[in-house]
Amino acid sequence: MSTTRLPPHPAHVIDHEQTLTFSFAGERIQARAGDTIASALYAAGRRTFSRSFKYHRPRGLLCGAGQCPNCLMNVDGTPSVRACTEPVRQGMRVQPQNAWPSLRYDLLSIIDRFDWLLPIGFYYKTFIRPRFFWPLAEKFLRRAAGLGEINTQAKPKGGYDHEYRYTDITVVGGGPAGLTAAHEAANLGCQVTLIDDQPKLGGHLRFQTGTYDNIGEQSGLTGFALARSLRERVTSQPNIDVLSSATVFGGYEGGLLGVMQAKRLIHLRTQRVIIATGSHEYPAVFTNNDLPGVMLGSGVRRLLHLYGVQPGTRAVVVCHDDTGWTLADELLDSGIRVAAVVDSRYRLPDAPDSVEQLQRSGVEVLTSYAIQAARGTNHVEGALVVPLDAQRNPFPHASRFIPCDLICLSTDRTPTAALVAQSGGELVYDATLGQTLPQQLPPQVFCAGDVTGIHLLPATLVQGRLAGLRAAHSLRASETSASSHIQTLQHECEALEQEYRRHYEPYPQLGHAWTSKKQFVCVCEDITHKDLAQGVAEGFDEVETLKRYSTFSMGPCQGRMCATSSARICARYAGAELATRATTARPPVTPVPLGVLAGRKHQPEKHTPLHHRHIALGAEMMLLGSWKRPYAYTTPSEEHQAVRERVGIIDVSTLGKLEVKGKDAARLLDKVYTHTFSTLRVGRIRYGVMCDDSGIIIDDGTVSRLADDHFFLTTTTGNVEFVEQWLKWWMAGTDLCAHVTNMTGGLAAMNIAGPKARQVFSQLTDTDLSSEAFSYMACRRATVAGAPALLLRIGFVGETGWEIHVPAECGEQVWDAIMAAGAGFQIIPFGVGAQRILRLEKKHVIVGQDTDALSNPLEADMEWVVKFNKDDFIGKRGLQAIQERGPRHKLVGFALRDSGMAEGGQAVVVNGQPAGRVASAAFSPTAGKCVGLAWVPVEVASGTSPFQIRINGTDAQADVIDDAFYDPQGERLRS
Amino acid sequence: MSFLLACPNCGERSVYEFRSGGEFRQRPPASVSSHEWARYLYLRKNEAGETTEWWYHQLGCRSWFLAVRDTRTNLVKETYEHD
Repeated sequence: MSTTRLPPHPAHVIDHEQTLTFSFAGERIQARAGDTIASALYAAGRRTFSRSFKYHRPRGLLCGAGQCPNCLMNVDGTPSVRACTEPVRQGMRVQPQNAWPSLRYDLLSIIDRFDWLLPIGFYYKTFIRPRFFWPLAEKFLRRAAGLGEINTQAKPKGGYDHEYRYTDITVVGGGPAGLTAAHEAANLGCQVTLIDDQPKLGGHLRFQTGTYDNIGEQSGLTGFALARSLRERVTSQPNIDVLSSATVFGGYEGGLLGVMQAKRLIHLRTQRVIIATGSHEYPAVFTNNDLPGVMLGSGVRRLLHLYGVQPGTRAVVVCHDDTGWTLADELLDSGIRVAAVVDSRYRLPDAPDSVEQLQRSGVEVLTSYAIQAARGTNHVEGALVVPLDAQRNPFPHASRFIPCDLICLSTDRTPTAALVAQSGGELVYDATLGQTLPQQLPPQVFCAGDVTGIHLLPATLVQGRLAGLRAAHSLRASETSASSHIQTLQHECEALEQEYRRHYEPYPQLGHAWTSKKQFVCVCEDITHKDLAQGVAEGFDEVETLKRYSTFSMGPCQGRMCATSSARICARYAGAELATRATTARPPVTPVPLGVLAGRKHQPEKHTPLHHRHIALGAEMMLLGSWKRPYAYTTPSEEHQAVRERVGIIDVSTLGKLEVKGKDAARLLDKVYTHTFSTLRVGRIRYGVMCDDSGIIIDDGTVSRLADDHFFLTTTTGNVEFVEQWLKWWMAGTDLCAHVTNMTGGLAAMNIAGPKARQVFSQLTDTDLSSEAFSYMACRRATVAGAPALLLRIGFVGETGWEIHVPAECGEQVWDAIMAAGAGFQIIPFGVGAQRILRLEKKHVIVGQDTDALSNPLEADMEWVVKFNKDDFIGKRGLQAIQERGPRHKLVGFALRDSGMAEGGQAVVVNGQPAGRVASAAFSPTAGKCVGLAWVPVEVASGTSPFQIRINGTDAQADVIDDAFYDPQGERLRS
Repeated sequence: MSFLLACPNCGERSVYEFRSGGEFRQRPPASVSSHEWARYLYLRKNEAGETTEWWYHQLGCRSWFLAVRDTRTNLVKETYEHD
């Protein structure tokens, strides 16, 4: 077919001068700037756009508006892109889907002949026997099933983002109703966000070339001119934000709308929402209604008026109201022959002039007729039309064949109302209009335009103004002038609606269950009228169950093309009243790529105040929780040796740090820790464990008493948020008076440790560091290298050492001073790797690593921190119960008898049976073998029975070690 | 879950700023029976309807408060500081 472009027209969105080229199935296609893939292909003579899901029947353009599944294609590697809304870009590569070897000759279209093999619910019924056949059938079915192919090798393209917006009023839909609503609301001073899924505002007016009457001062304007005027009015208002090419895919609680604009997900919080999403046409059910060449009237208009593409050469227009007549006029104006207008109405209400005019142009006018079938092999070659009797039933024997290559359906429309339901409104079937319409809207939701079921421009404009005023008035009640205005408009609106309803005659529902001819209800899933009748006969006679059984409305169009037809058919065969409630329309309304939901790739990490020093030293960094920490600067074993023999320094800024201050600080700590802190002397440190009320360990750390009413707490890395919340929670609603401040980010902390630590550290502070003046488990405030510091004499690694807390901004200064002072003693920085070995040699437990959500202090070898003799504390009752039943497991130190390396998570084996697990393990240079901590049965813990550790399938002999592997008496620690 | 919660300190905010602390319950005195204690530890009302629950304004004032929420509609009737 040759190129079928029309001469330029002001309504066109394409630039007739500028051409683009792209490839389709390997062929070069010429397009004009502004074309969609579909309009360019159509202009290039393509009529088959896809192959259907089940039967692989050829499918052509149907809606032309991104509503139906007929033009899904692979665009530059992205599957299932709707070609009718995707703009052409120079050089893009488009491939058809679901067809092999080509769209024109699809081998799988043979399935169409074997439809008896695929009845409704065939997956429950067929391919069961003979059994040996199933593996073969499965292979075939797996390959045939699904739409499009995902490129599993594709690299994420990135560029996704999330945006958060807040607005007074959101108007969804940029058609005539939305534009007027936004204008009115903005006039009353509200901040309005107008969202439209098209690149240009105007809605269906953009492709209307007819003129309108009864719309006030703008009467006589053509549709597209009116669109321009409304658009200009809105874009000149500064308090209206317009989001074009953006889709509202869901309405959520609290006035949250999910909006997708290209690769951006906008979280839009709105106080009021005006739903002006319009309506869309869907195909009537008749034989071969899916044949390429059968198009919805609005799709034909889009081709004609937006893209200047001639949709056919000889058309039949099927309608039930005046929209069909104006479409016939427009086709004639564009030089397309109209063979007939088939109107289902018995009598035309008005405009006999236009009938005569059409007849003069050679158009056959058939009133009280409907379409029975489309004829043709791969494309429409004619329409079979049938007269109707007074009861709207067909006389099948009086049917007539009209040759044509285009059938325009202006038969049924349905409101695009999913958002209404998601915003808390109801969708109720309206028998007069044959549509499910919004009802019982919540007070913050308003509707205007076609979504209310009234497809009449004068009414739409009034509804738009009314909705805008009401929404604004509900926010700005002081605008008293609005309320009288609202009343006037309300009356006007009701009058127009009543008039519309009085003349409305729905298109008749024909179609027969007994015919083997395919009358498609759901084009996505290839569900026919017969299938649904069969489903009802099998007992699925309620629309929700029929939906699940037949899968109608579960395809790419999500029921836009079939929901109403199927509900009607279901009711017809179930002999029941039509379901008055629509099937649930959950978000997302349109497909949302996972990348859009995921947004920008985010992996926030925390850096300590000493981070740059570690990088400068060339440390190997690792991510622990959200913290970046040095694993090692040289090797863990080298660093281990340095700490044991000389002196080392480690950055421990990641420790959680809390200050608890107030007259009841000690009481609070007595309540949440198992230990007692009210008895702690000022200047002393005590180790503490926190449990929950069932006795499970939730955190541990040191508690330093800085003053009577002032404590400094450290928590495990990554748990400080939780501990802060935990402390505050147990204070909430009690008489406890204390304040908890999280100091984690504000303090840098480092631990200097080793036999030479005192010699190094004493160079930097005037404080007496001798063990007499500054004993183990003491704390002091001091000045270190000019910085105010808190010194804690503790020893996680088992050597003489101090934990030094200084303001974060002094961290580097103190670190540098220590490194300089230690140069003569060959001080080295050590990382997490060495620390793990050092602490294991001392059998120091790391909560969260060696313990889990079932560990309690009595079994984790910490009986000594539980003070049952003090008053109630959190966990006392739970721990008492554990004490009564006796411990079952114990966390013990172990050493492997022979060479070999255990690691955390390996099984502890007793008498050949798994009976516990390794918590942590490392090679100890001190012990010369692998040591660690393990959970073992209590009888093993007493050291009387042997146990093994299963390492890669072999059981290695291990022994329980009661004392620490290194310095069991703690002499070095205290020295 | 996208409802709004009015923090008594900071005002109405998205629920994502908060951490839920579960149903509001009174911790029984240590003297209650084991049965009572187990109920406190392990059983929740899980009401389909109005529930008083703890919320913590994690990304705000970092304090706890109580909210009366209808678990069926996620409408929050009132919020207040526990006293």
